Amino acid sequence: MSFGSATILHVDMDAFFAACELRRRPELRGKPVVVGGEGQRGVVAAASYEARVFGIRSAMPSAQARRLCPDAVFLPGDHAHYAEVSAEVMSIFASFTPLVEPLSLDEAFLDVSGARRLHGSAMNIAHKIRYSVNKSVGLTCSVGVAPNKFLAKLATEDAKPKPSTDGPVFGVGVREIDPRRVQEFLDPLPIRAIWGVGPATEKRLNRLGATTVADIARLSLDAMVGALGNAQGRHLYELCRGIDDRPVVPRQEAKSVSHEETFAVDLFEPERLQAEIVRMADAVGRRLRLSNTRGRTVQLKVRFGDFTTITRSSTLAGPTSSGSAIANEARDLLAKINLTQGVRLLGVGVSGMAKETEGEQLSFDDIASVPEDWRDAEQAIDEIRAKFGDAAIGHASSLRRGKLSPKTAGEQQWGPGEPSQGER
Amino acid sequence: MKFRCEREVLVDALNTAGRAVSSRGGSLPVLAGLRLELNGDQLVITGSDLDLTVTVSLEVAGTTDGVSVVPAKLLSDVVRAVEPGAVQLEVDAGDAQISAGRSQFSLRTIPADEYPQLSDVVGEGVSIDGTALVTALRQVVPAASSDDSRPILTGVLMAAEQAGLRLVATDSYRLSVRDLPGTTVLEDDKTILVPSRALNELSRLIDDDAEVVLHLGERDASFVVGEVRLTTRLIEGDFPNYRGLIPDSNPNKLTVDRVALLDAVKRVRLLAQEATPVRLSMSGDGLELVAMTQDVGQAEESVDADYEGTDLTVAFNADYLSVGLDVAPGETVTLETVDALKPALLRSPEFPEFLYLLMPVRVS
Repeated sequence: MSFGSATILHVDMDAFFAACELRRRPELRGKPVVVGGEGQRGVVAAASYEARVFGIRSAMPSAQARRLCPDAVFLPGDHAHYAEVSAEVMSIFASFTPLVEPLSLDEAFLDVSGARRLHGSAMNIAHKIRYSVNKSVGLTCSVGVAPNKFLAKLATEDAKPKPSTDGPVFGVGVREIDPRRVQEFLDPLPIRAIWGVGPATEKRLNRLGATTVADIARLSLDAMVGALGNAQGRHLYELCRGIDDRPVVPRQEAKSVSHEETFAVDLFEPERLQAEIVRMADAVGRRLRLSNTRGRTVQLKVRFGDFTTITRSSTLAGPTSSGSAIANEARDLLAKINLTQGVRLLGVGVSGMAKETEGEQLSFDDIASVPEDWRDAEQAIDEIRAKFGDAAIGHASSLRRGKLSPKTAGEQQWGPGEPSQGER
Repeated sequence: MKFRCEREVLVDALNTAGRAVSSRGGSLPVLAGLRLELNGDQLVITGSDLDLTVTVSLEVAGTTDGVSVVPAKLLSDVVRAVEPGAVQLEVDAGDAQISAGRSQFSLRTIPADEYPQLSDVVGEGVSIDGTALVTALRQVVPAASSDDSRPILTGVLMAAEQAGLRLVATDSYRLSVRDLPGTTVLEDDKTILVPSRALNELSRLIDDDAEVVLHLGERDASFVVGEVRLTTRLIEGDFPNYRGLIPDSNPNKLTVDRVALLDAVKRVRLLAQEATPVRLSMSGDGLELVAMTQDVGQAEESVDADYEGTDLTVAFNADYLSVGLDVAPGETVTLETVDALKPALLRSPEFPEFLYLLMPVRVS
């Protein structure tokens, strides 16, 4: 098997959320720090390498993390701050190549094949990126350099700092997979290291006697397809040979914008849920306006106490970016749902994005129920928030314990906080 | 039950009554059938989905009285398909035998005692001029909503006004109002909300010069047109306060030939795809129509028009605008506007009994 040159970079920030916190709270350096949801349903979003020594991992329930390391510093997470830092980091990537595909706030693929003339080899670019990120943002990252995305991501793993019983061990920072030695690199890896291999697939492959990538690489395509089905069998057959031809796709126009929230305790009262809808619709509208887009289909997602999840949607006459219009539609959808089971999670979203030449069909409802200048009000709210912060102004219905808590991006992706008074 | 009838006559009656039969298959299986009741030479055919019921009476050559429910679609299809001439229908032991020419059909019937009891018309009834009613319905019904999530807006408001009867419909994007002066159908200040679907069916039933008799019940209304009776459930609830929507004064007024504008809108709308609007630029020089769709192209057309007011561009959904122009009476229409975001008022100067109000489309 021959590969082209190694021109795909995978850049992953080291313990990003925790590192962001340490950057602005240097007094916590060297201590185990855990960022994540604090409530009963909270999960760990990030753990510093010091915390990982105790076995704390991302996506682990916060309660379990607390048991593993009661002395760790637990922080609630500040998504807005991480998003800001992330934007800085991403713009550094973009200064090297326009082909940047962000995977999340702290991870991206870069295709640097066209940047080598200007910036030197891919390895060179990787080192330059690490240096720039550290110098201008004050954070460290690890970079994998390889002929494709799959290998680049594996390479990053190899370059990362590792927790050990003696504390964190620095990684190499940049790891390149030599296109001529791909198989050598892959062979000793456990099969779980491969993208898309979860416990179920692992079990099936174990039954075929495979525990390492080398073992699966020996299996025939027929055997793989027999064990895993056509699509996954073929996919894995290729991956374990280091073949992955997915291109790096720069950030695309959003296909939908949504917010959802898991509640600390299941909610039953329609009034309370309606208030949550207003809060989330407000945030969705704001993001639509920020990105200068509008959508015409409003979606409501409801997860009940028993985890059954339903989504309902309805299409407006024209696209909108108004939080109040989205809230009105979502409330109508909610009214048709039986809530007696109790609601664990609620989500409000908009899809069906409009083209620029499209307009927004106005409705008599805009005159009758929403003050005529509501759109101006929303614009003013946007400006106030941009200047004074998200909690400076908001809907009265988003008042919580006497404070405004407008919904913000990612504020709660690690589980809800503690239930407030009266929710218990 | 046994009778003979001309195929054409029976086909018409079955189609008319069959229009009330739900194609979606409602909760009651018996409603997928048409109820046939024969008394002497009088055959009454009933189709219903409980919201809407249509009964047709016709003269046939009856032999044996009886009642039966026969699957609606199959019965219509069979009678339509047989050769022209006399058709005989005989129901015996749960089967309907249809014979015409050399064709023989046997259809399994639905037990007739499961068919819901439908109330008879009440009261004397009030007569309405059919021609005037059809015109008014054509002007108003298209503005009603087809979105079942707002049931009130799927209805047409019929209200007693000083001048006579008023019909109003809105889907919250446009509003159509039509007065029928001199038609006193309802008692003072009385209003009813009639499903637009029923009124659509009603307008199909009314031939030129037909008289329509309205019987108003507690929860339903019956319209009798000749031998056909259409009964509809009324929608309960309060119709929105449409009067408050109509602006008192409009600083800008465009006067234009109705058909010329309609034709121009129909042309440029070819480039108003995927929910993009048609823009009307109004100035002292006249009217300019523009439609553009990103990645597709654009169209422009100028239309002779008189305009009083400040230069203004307003965008409208091409469909809503052309429906308004299509149903407006008279040769000339006026379009009165306040600004690009306020409702615009379409009227015909010679016909004050009609108005069409439509909300613009906001464009960036």
